[in-house]
Amino acid sequence: MLTTLTEHLTHVATRAAPYWRPVAVGVTALGAVALVATVDPHEAGHYPTCPSLFITGFWCPGCGSLRALHSLAHGDLVGALGMNILVVVAVPYLLWRWGGWLAATLGRPPRRRLAPAWAIWLLLGGILAFTVARNIPMFGPLLAP
Amino acid sequence: MSAIPPPPNGSYPPPPGGLPPGNGGYGEYGGMQPNFGTPPNNYLVWAILTTILCCLPFGIVSIIKAAEVNSKWAGGDFAGAYASSAAAKKWATVSAIVGVVVGVIYVASGLATTTGSFSQF
Repeated sequence: MLTTLTEHLTHVATRAAPYWRPVAVGVTALGAVALVATVDPHEAGHYPTCPSLFITGFWCPGCGSLRALHSLAHGDLVGALGMNILVVVAVPYLLWRWGGWLAATLGRPPRRRLAPAWAIWLLLGGILAFTVARNIPMFGPLLAP
Repeated sequence: MSAIPPPPNGSYPPPPGGLPPGNGGYGEYGGMQPNFGTPPNNYLVWAILTTILCCLPFGIVSIIKAAEVNSKWAGGDFAGAYASSAAAKKWATVSAIVGVVVGVIYVASGLATTTGSFSQF
């Protein structure tokens, strides 16, 4: 039964238009954003506490991301920056890469040049610095959610 | 957004600033072309997604591997870039699986609902 279903889905997938994957991911992401925008993560008990915060007691770089996403979905950029700066930086990048993925499935030739490696090392340093700084009481009001 | 036009036959212009060092031994990749072929995927999107969605240690490893892909490719180490790409994919997969498993255990154990007085995600 399961095998037949898998075969059927694979058959549908191979026959479907090449852009079905980015479209499916886009629709799923829109649904997730709509959920977070509707069910407010600022209110108690709507979502579970971040597991790494619960286990370690420290803010991880992702803590506050749901609240930042909620604020972004409601056009509150300042509120989003106050919850998680990383999310505000990541969303445009993720949208850009999703657009590139969609364009590639529509036949755009693959990239021949990569971004400079220092940009990714800079991103890594930024994430680590952000993680440490948001757990320091002096920067907490600005960087912690 | 048109495709890059192919250069006239046999008249590739020399790259500005001369050729980067360390290009020898990769003749099968196109000899004098420093950036020949399609670069491997660095899976940076997955690395960022897993980092933001709480699988911190593996997400950080994925970002390091993503940086290695771009660094090695730019330096002419094409085989190394593909190896780092495979490692980036592996760590992104590991963090995604660990994240889902930990999340399911966490929610199923009831810890998630008994502790938080407000959402901290």
